[in-house]
Amino acid sequence: MIMQTQHEVYKTKDIAGRLASGFLKNPLTALLGAFLLLMGYLALSIMPREEDPQIAISGGTIMVAMPGATANEVEKVIVNPLERRLREIKGIEHIQGMAMDNVGIVNVMYYIGQNREDSNLKLYDKVMQNMDELPKGAMQPIVKPFDIDIDIPIVTVAFYAKDPKKINQVQLYNKIRSIQQELNGIDSVSKTTLKGDHRAQYNVQVDLNKLSGYNLSLGQIMQGIQAVANGVPSVKSRTSNGGMVVLGVKNAIESVEDVGNIAVADYGGSLIYLRDVATVTEGTDIQNFKNATIMFRDESGSKMSNEYAQTTLSISKLAGTNAVNVANDVLDVLKNNDRMLQDAGIGYVVTRNYGTRADNAVNELMQHLIITIIIISIMLIFALGWRESLIVTFTVPAILAITLFVAYLGGQTINRITLFAFLLSLGLLVDAAIIVIENIHRHLHSHTAENQSMEELLVEATDEIGPPTNIATLAIILTMVPMAFVGGMMGSFMKPIPLNVPVALVASLFVAYIFTPYLSLKLLKKPTHNSTHKETK
Amino acid sequence: MMNKFENFVFGILDNPKKKKMVLILTAVAFVLSLLMFPTKIVLAKMLPGKSDNTFSVYVDTPSGTSIEQTNRVSQCVIDLMKKENEVLNIELFLGQGMPLDYAGLVKGSGMKQAENVAEIAVNLTDKHERDEPSYLMVKRLRPIVQKQCEGIIKNTSIKFVEQPAGPPTMASIVVEVHGDNIQKDRDISSDVVKILKSTNGLVDVDIFGDKMYQQYQLIPDKEKIAGSGVSVEQLNNILYLAFEGMIVGEKNTQEYSDQIPIFLSLDKESKSMESSDELDVQNKLSSLNLMSPTGAMVSVSDLVTLKKVDSNPVIMHKDLDRMINVVAETDMVSQVYPLLDARSKMIDYFSKNYEVTKVPGMSTYMFDLNLKDKKTGEKFLLRWDGEMKVTLDTFRDLGGAFIAALVLIFLLLVVYYKSFTLSGIVLLGSFLSLIGVIVGHFVANLVTRDTFFLTATSLIGFIALMGISSRNSLLLIDFAKSLMECHGIPKRKAIAVAAATRAKPIALTAVAIILGSALLASDPIFGGLGVALISGTIAAVFVSLLFVPILMDNAKAMDFEPEVCDIKEDISITK
Repeated sequence: MIMQTQHEVYKTKDIAGRLASGFLKNPLTALLGAFLLLMGYLALSIMPREEDPQIAISGGTIMVAMPGATANEVEKVIVNPLERRLREIKGIEHIQGMAMDNVGIVNVMYYIGQNREDSNLKLYDKVMQNMDELPKGAMQPIVKPFDIDIDIPIVTVAFYAKDPKKINQVQLYNKIRSIQQELNGIDSVSKTTLKGDHRAQYNVQVDLNKLSGYNLSLGQIMQGIQAVANGVPSVKSRTSNGGMVVLGVKNAIESVEDVGNIAVADYGGSLIYLRDVATVTEGTDIQNFKNATIMFRDESGSKMSNEYAQTTLSISKLAGTNAVNVANDVLDVLKNNDRMLQDAGIGYVVTRNYGTRADNAVNELMQHLIITIIIISIMLIFALGWRESLIVTFTVPAILAITLFVAYLGGQTINRITLFAFLLSLGLLVDAAIIVIENIHRHLHSHTAENQSMEELLVEATDEIGPPTNIATLAIILTMVPMAFVGGMMGSFMKPIPLNVPVALVASLFVAYIFTPYLSLKLLKKPTHNSTHKETK
Repeated sequence: MMNKFENFVFGILDNPKKKKMVLILTAVAFVLSLLMFPTKIVLAKMLPGKSDNTFSVYVDTPSGTSIEQTNRVSQCVIDLMKKENEVLNIELFLGQGMPLDYAGLVKGSGMKQAENVAEIAVNLTDKHERDEPSYLMVKRLRPIVQKQCEGIIKNTSIKFVEQPAGPPTMASIVVEVHGDNIQKDRDISSDVVKILKSTNGLVDVDIFGDKMYQQYQLIPDKEKIAGSGVSVEQLNNILYLAFEGMIVGEKNTQEYSDQIPIFLSLDKESKSMESSDELDVQNKLSSLNLMSPTGAMVSVSDLVTLKKVDSNPVIMHKDLDRMINVVAETDMVSQVYPLLDARSKMIDYFSKNYEVTKVPGMSTYMFDLNLKDKKTGEKFLLRWDGEMKVTLDTFRDLGGAFIAALVLIFLLLVVYYKSFTLSGIVLLGSFLSLIGVIVGHFVANLVTRDTFFLTATSLIGFIALMGISSRNSLLLIDFAKSLMECHGIPKRKAIAVAAATRAKPIALTAVAIILGSALLASDPIFGGLGVALISGTIAAVFVSLLFVPILMDNAKAMDFEPEVCDIKEDISITK
């Protein structure tokens, strides 16, 4: 310590040295490190996970039906005026029109990144404002905005009847309907839809020969059914002393037999019932041509099963929620209903699970991150020594923790691209720490080392490389910034890179300046060789 | 070791011949690597395919096909699929799209609702346990399936749809045929289909839009209708009721979760016709009766006359223009090269009847062709859209981002050094890492099984590299500067010493980047970024340790005079 009197105390010139000296002896530094790691861990566990980043695509479809009009007429009176009007909306990239017999459809695509709610409102607004311009005979326009989060299901489950004789399509449908009700109750589940479903229906299939035999027309049959098919609400009346009498008309149709027993005509004094001219059955919606089937590999994985008729239940989640959690909750509900489904003879296959896909993708990349950190630290052991390597290795999780936490505060999700941004920045963010530790290492082994206290030496070594490192890191950050302005789908898709890499780089500077000297003080010692090395230059 | 390198650098700097040689070698390497683009040694594509656990097959039979016929085609596809060992399950959605996914979102899968469509979802075993990536499987199955199943119904198109690696597009290649004359549009688009089909590397070529088919038009006889006292509306209703059926009532129920509709139609025998001959249709109509207000029965066939006509095809618009879409997918190749191929074929082909002109100027629509009918003077436009447009847009934007990054770095350096020359040296040095990026892709292409494309992610890697290599030069210049200023070391020596001293941290950080990107390189999408970073960093190390010192030596701006440094401690030059 005698040397101190000979030397002036080193004056810091850069933020690097100031940070280093400020935190070097501070007892809170260790606490800060622990806190950062904890924040990062918390962010990692609560941030929503997804496979692909969310892209704000807004747009919608407007459908206008005009029964009886040909494609050409529809083009002139519906599609053309509608397109002209929609063109007035700001922010629309493309308008696609389709004119076909009876109906006109116009699709609207906004530029990527336009606010979804605003876009939808503008679309509705424009259509509603111009309702008066619709031609006579056109029906009310149907406006359907689309929404990726809600429209793309994250889980789909195919239900099938193991033995089609035991349980029919309608019973299958009803069982699934009850599960659907339960699924909709789950947190963050937004839309559930069915595909390939067949509902109960009374089918009245008229035999044309019999009809002409009784000299009846189809119109009469229709009127006959409509006459009794309506339900009537209860009616109330008062008694003379102010009491109330409620009269309820029982539904005329309670079962399929009742439908068959509808009298449709009076033919020479005897009533003609519906069952006389038509086959009346309780079945499914035969007019629905949409069907779905499934075949799957059996348990052993060797043979394909037969083709089963199936109904697919698809489940979407709300925007910004965790796909993994939602998918797991859905599977739990299915598991709870296992007994019921077994008893009913219903089997199910989960045909899509984006939850596990997202989880796998995230976990795989996390693994890659860890492997990479280990490889780099091994490399550093050889290049710098194990203590130095340990210090650099610590900085990586600290930097990632800060970046994750900032990303969490910014409302981002953990997805493939976020993690790629981390992997990309991994090579960059150890740099600052490596440069600092290398300079410390060099100073420790230089001939002037004995003249300085350890603290002073650390601060000086850090301070010295401050300006070029700051500028260099700033240069890398600057290269990333313009990427944030790349437009289109690709720009949105890649957005996590310009969002996260600069944060990671700034964090890497702070961590390198604060924690590298701090840990060096704890872990490194001055070499005890008596230096006779003489500087000649 | 360090001294050796120091002497080596000094040796080069001290010998004008050697200096020149390094400069020339670098220039040659740069030009050669750039030449790898036009010679197609390195191929560019926006995003490569990614192996997935699922793919889907879209079956489109021509408009006017019944659901039964569509089912027959679909069953043919399923029969071929189920023989595959890696297939876990197959779902068929007849008359509708499958549950929406990213690919289907832009391909209109959610809107499908017709008897002539079907979608088949094929789920595979996990990609980690499967040798064959899904994209190779699709490539293998596609010709087999199309050959066996497309022939069942004429004009059927079977498309294989893979999950996109990045943002979804309608198709790899979309040709929009714009023009006011619909009939001519259709003719041109069928020519375009022929050309695309004959182009190597393009598959699943199809016209987006329906084909024309024969249909009967019932022309109501006004006088007879008025005479019998029925209305046209009544006539329409009866026809619809008879053949399509209608829900005529609902019944509420406690047992089921929905109302039970009562559906009325003719039974199957009464509905079906002997054949699609005019006579049979006429017969069927004659047995269908309407009741007039007076109670008399009138046969439908008495009220209308039959006429055979072509169906009305859908009229498509894009941005208020009439147009027809022709789509095609690429078969594991970049869409750029088949596109240019097909385009020159189109110019040849259409030159017979049209005046073909290219769209002037540079834009992301720069491949478009204008056609002008030689006889009538009608104008048509062939516009390239789809993935190609997105690629061009992305590359344009990334290129812009890159230039912006260059400018920003340059300004930053000018502020720091207050010298244009020094800033220029740093910038030039970092730009040269492009050599490494291109050569890296060439090598990656040699060692991988499929084509390794230069992708959008490669560009991102290159942009990031700019920063990394400029940092190397920065540290070098800074160090040499302080050696000269504070120690009075002569310029050449100072540069050599700086290069030798900085070699270690430069190499260390380079190794860190290379190791950090190694795992990135194996990813299908971010492989380009990984390769760009790895090979670019290697190039950057060489450039900053050999090439940049020469420039520094040549630059007058590097002549720093010794001055009194306030740095108390010298920059020690120990090992």
